Amino acid sequence: MTTLIIIDQPPYGNWAGREGLDMAFSLAAFDQPVALLFTGAGVNWLRQGQQAELIAQKNVDRNLSAATVFGVDQLLADSTSLTRFGLAPVDLLAGVETVRFEPALLSSYSHVVCP
Amino acid sequence: MPSPRILTYTLVITGAPYTSQAPQTALNFAQAVLAAGHTIDRVFLYGDGIHLASVLAAPPSDEANWTQRWGELLTAHEIPAVACIASALRRGLLDPAEQARYEKPAANLAAPFEIAGLGEWVEGQLQSSRVVYFHSGA
Repeated sequence: MTTLIIIDQPPYGNWAGREGLDMAFSLAAFDQPVALLFTGAGVNWLRQGQQAELIAQKNVDRNLSAATVFGVDQLLADSTSLTRFGLAPVDLLAGVETVRFEPALLSSYSHVVCP
Repeated sequence: MPSPRILTYTLVITGAPYTSQAPQTALNFAQAVLAAGHTIDRVFLYGDGIHLASVLAAPPSDEANWTQRWGELLTAHEIPAVACIASALRRGLLDPAEQARYEKPAANLAAPFEIAGLGEWVEGQLQSSRVVYFHSGA
């Protein structure tokens, strides 16, 4: 009965990803199983060493690092998108699992939300 | 012959009126759902979708007023409609309680919409047989 929240928007320049993250935290707060999948430009959420204060924004990687502590079961990254954005596993936050984003992956979740 | 299964729906609208067609498509979907004998548990406005609940939108008289049309449907069928409080406050959608809390000069939440937390959406996920999303499509 796990919900998968898909974040396909970059962390800065667009608010949709933040609202997706809020949805994930909200499910976790109500003890509902939830996983996050980052794909497309959304994989940039997972970069280490973000300096969002230079553009008067909050670093999203801090929120994300807390995700598993707050009960988000999995942080998944689409392997094709990682390659496209030149991200190697060493560039990513700790605890991220690389997956292939394909129909078989989605079928294992009861709800799939792409805000 | 068994009667067709009655489903319950939660509708989530994340696209704003006059930016996207999401509120209009969702309204058409809601009308079809009700006409087919199903039930809508609630409507949840999230992200830019909260703009649907602003009573201050004043479109030209020869264009549809989606806030008003949605309000009529919600009232006629007694469907609860909630705008996410975090999305609403950031975008300047306030009810009188939030107006007082943040000492703002006005409130602009259209009836019968209410402001509440994402817990309402979580409850929809748990209760309804279907949760359907209406995004901006951008």
